[in-house]
Amino acid sequence: MNPLLSVENLRISFPSRRGPVEVVRGVSFHLGRERLGIVGESGSGKSQTGRAILGLTPPSGRATADRLEFDGIDLRKASTAQWRQLRGARMSMVMQDPKYSLNPVMTIGKQLMEAVRIHGGKADARAKSLAMLEAVQIRDPERVMHAYPHELSGGMGQRAMIAMMLVTEPDLLIADEPTSALDVTVQIEVLRILDRLVSERGMGLIFISHDLELVSTFCDRVLVMYAGRVVEEIDAARLSEAEHPYTRGLLGCLPKIVGDQRPLPVLARDARWLE
Amino acid sequence: MTSPDTTLEKQGLRNWLLSEQPASRRQARFGQVYRTWLAFRGNRLGMLGLGIVLALVLVALFAGVIAPYDPLTGGDLRTERLLPPSWEHLMGTDDLARDIFSRIVYGSRVTLLVVALVAAIATPVGLLVGTTAGYFGGWVDTVLMRVTDIFLAFPRLILALAFVAALGPGIENAIIAIAITSWPPYARLARAETLTIRNAEHIDAIRLQGASPVRIIWGHVMPLCLSSVIIRVTLDMAGIILTAAGLGFLGLGAQPPQPEWGAMIAAGRRFLIDYWWVATMPGIAIFVVSLGFNFLGDGLRDVLDPKAQQQ
Amino acid sequence: MALIEIENLEVVFGGGGRIVHALRGVSLSVEEGESFGLVGESGSGKSTVLRATCGLAPVTAGRILIDGIPVTTPRDPSFYRRVQMVFQDPYASLHPRHTIDRVLSEPLAIHGFDRREARVERALIDVGLGTGFRFRYPHQLSGGQRQRVAIARALILEPKVILLDEPTSALDASIQAEVLNLLDRLRAEHGLTYVLVSHDLAVVAHMCERLMVMQGGQVVEQLSREALQAHATTKDYTRNLLTASEGFTRAPAPQSRP
Repeated sequence: MNPLLSVENLRISFPSRRGPVEVVRGVSFHLGRERLGIVGESGSGKSQTGRAILGLTPPSGRATADRLEFDGIDLRKASTAQWRQLRGARMSMVMQDPKYSLNPVMTIGKQLMEAVRIHGGKADARAKSLAMLEAVQIRDPERVMHAYPHELSGGMGQRAMIAMMLVTEPDLLIADEPTSALDVTVQIEVLRILDRLVSERGMGLIFISHDLELVSTFCDRVLVMYAGRVVEEIDAARLSEAEHPYTRGLLGCLPKIVGDQRPLPVLARDARWLE
Repeated sequence: MTSPDTTLEKQGLRNWLLSEQPASRRQARFGQVYRTWLAFRGNRLGMLGLGIVLALVLVALFAGVIAPYDPLTGGDLRTERLLPPSWEHLMGTDDLARDIFSRIVYGSRVTLLVVALVAAIATPVGLLVGTTAGYFGGWVDTVLMRVTDIFLAFPRLILALAFVAALGPGIENAIIAIAITSWPPYARLARAETLTIRNAEHIDAIRLQGASPVRIIWGHVMPLCLSSVIIRVTLDMAGIILTAAGLGFLGLGAQPPQPEWGAMIAAGRRFLIDYWWVATMPGIAIFVVSLGFNFLGDGLRDVLDPKAQQQ
Repeated sequence: MALIEIENLEVVFGGGGRIVHALRGVSLSVEEGESFGLVGESGSGKSTVLRATCGLAPVTAGRILIDGIPVTTPRDPSFYRRVQMVFQDPYASLHPRHTIDRVLSEPLAIHGFDRREARVERALIDVGLGTGFRFRYPHQLSGGQRQRVAIARALILEPKVILLDEPTSALDASIQAEVLNLLDRLRAEHGLTYVLVSHDLAVVAHMCERLMVMQGGQVVEQLSREALQAHATTKDYTRNLLTASEGFTRAPAPQSRP
């Protein structure tokens, strides 16, 4: 079976005073209709990887790849018009903070219906929007339809945002730290929504996060990134058998509720990991 | 050609300035200034503006050397009145047979004086009022900002007119009048900045060190407001020069025979059709200097404004 | 006698139309040398407890005692020499235009300490940075290094109590471990008392002997570390927090919000 998304040798560089700096250095992976986690610390290039797939690399940056294919479409050669058809309709992105991704002077309902209309469904935009809000477990969708983004709590806002990204029923969703700004209990609820969408609609999900434990419990497969490279690719269930010292170090340095290891093991970075 | 020795020395100085690990307070401060300069240097229009402003300062300083004629006493009124630009009189002569180029050169002193004094009076007043109002809030804020509003409500030129009418015409009174009407926008700007800064964690932190409000405003809030106020002042300079010129034009600023650009235009307007250079030359001077300050202000904004830097 | 005693603390923000009741009758006591944790989700009021203690939030009702003496409003200088705070965001808690040297010297100048040079260098070595960092600006430092500077700033007045407001939540996991280890070591070396606020149960369980769970400005319960580790809680809310902090579970879990 053809994978939904193929990425081969993705490289992203940004200019700096001392010449171009590569923040992503040859990342390759394939994604089926599954939950793929990308884990790394700040500066590992995980977010830039996600953005590049959607063609959202900042204008100053340069992204190249040997292969970047979404459902048989070569994304490297996609025209502006093609991107417009793809983004939103077939592939979407959920960002960390809903505040910056929702239009503050438009009601949620208006924004949702607009998204539906742009991508075809004109007649039943309202019904579709309401159904989507219900699907993301918003208890009072009618009220939320008329609410402005600032009137919603963080968890509600994030759910509204997910609803917006999913109302067009994309085949691929890239979620960049979608729950980091949320409380743990809300976080789990939001993940549950994403989980259902993958299993029920057969969507492909790339879940980008710094939280190794969360990713390992939520995703099927995990890519561990360090300094712009994938240092390890492993089934989430077998994370405890990880071989790369970085992955092991990341797992080890987290404080645990049970167990009293003190001092906490510290991650010793190795220059060889950069090679 | 620079000898290898001096290049090496230059390299050493550069490294010393750009060191990531400064060894003294002085090195840290100079390094910071040098970095800002490096960033500013990349901005061509900003550099052009800086060049114009520096040229203004130099011309004002060395007016005596640069100007070929006396700016106040003219030549032979029978033969040298209203001569067109020539090698002898680069910008021609005016109706009193005075060399216009010399008058413009000396006029730069008046312009520079206006600019410097207004900046020196309005900037600190605006900063102090704005940061104090913003930091304390409550009734202090209300009182200070209402006062600011009152000053803001005066039309600048009219207030200057009234002021000059009351105290008598003259460049000093014109400067005071302009300064009094130009600080309120800086106060508002500083207050707005302070309102966001005062809730920052680093202000909470210094408060928890037991610092007094004076120390916090002076050492912590003001340095952060300073850059945006400086940018604003620089951008306003063009307007201030124009106001001064306007007062001069109306006969309320510098008094004849003092060479002031605005007054020179006013004097030249009678001959505008037949002797265009009399009014045009000071006009060009005003235009160039105003433009220079605007370019400089834009360049400074690109370097200093934290909001523009986030990209 | 407890070092910190908080009795029925109420904090109300705002006036006129919009009143927010941030804390409703919170009481706690912390012994000298102890590390006490405050856990809760956003809006639980956990940070407000710290801010009210050090005078950054108004005390509407109730009492705060340090060493058995009620605190005054505004706090007097001796209070700041006994109680210091480390903030959550190391990118916001250092003045962007001040060198590390100035950040650390200023409190010494305010309180008239002698041997300032030596104290600044000592503090930098104490937090594992070394004196090479002394004349740098915050933008030349990483997040973890900045947080070390913030800790050095809190230590430099030689306080007895340090209030830690989510000191590691803005840091990467590997840096978090280093900072937590540093805090652990400093507590032992300087005999410090910590009050640590965090949304992360694991961090609190690691750092604190006792903790208090908060929700909506009220105390849910107080627990010892052992009780938390054994899941020995009587409250549903604490149990939900515990479950949620263990990651995602695919089996349908009970609704987490009451």
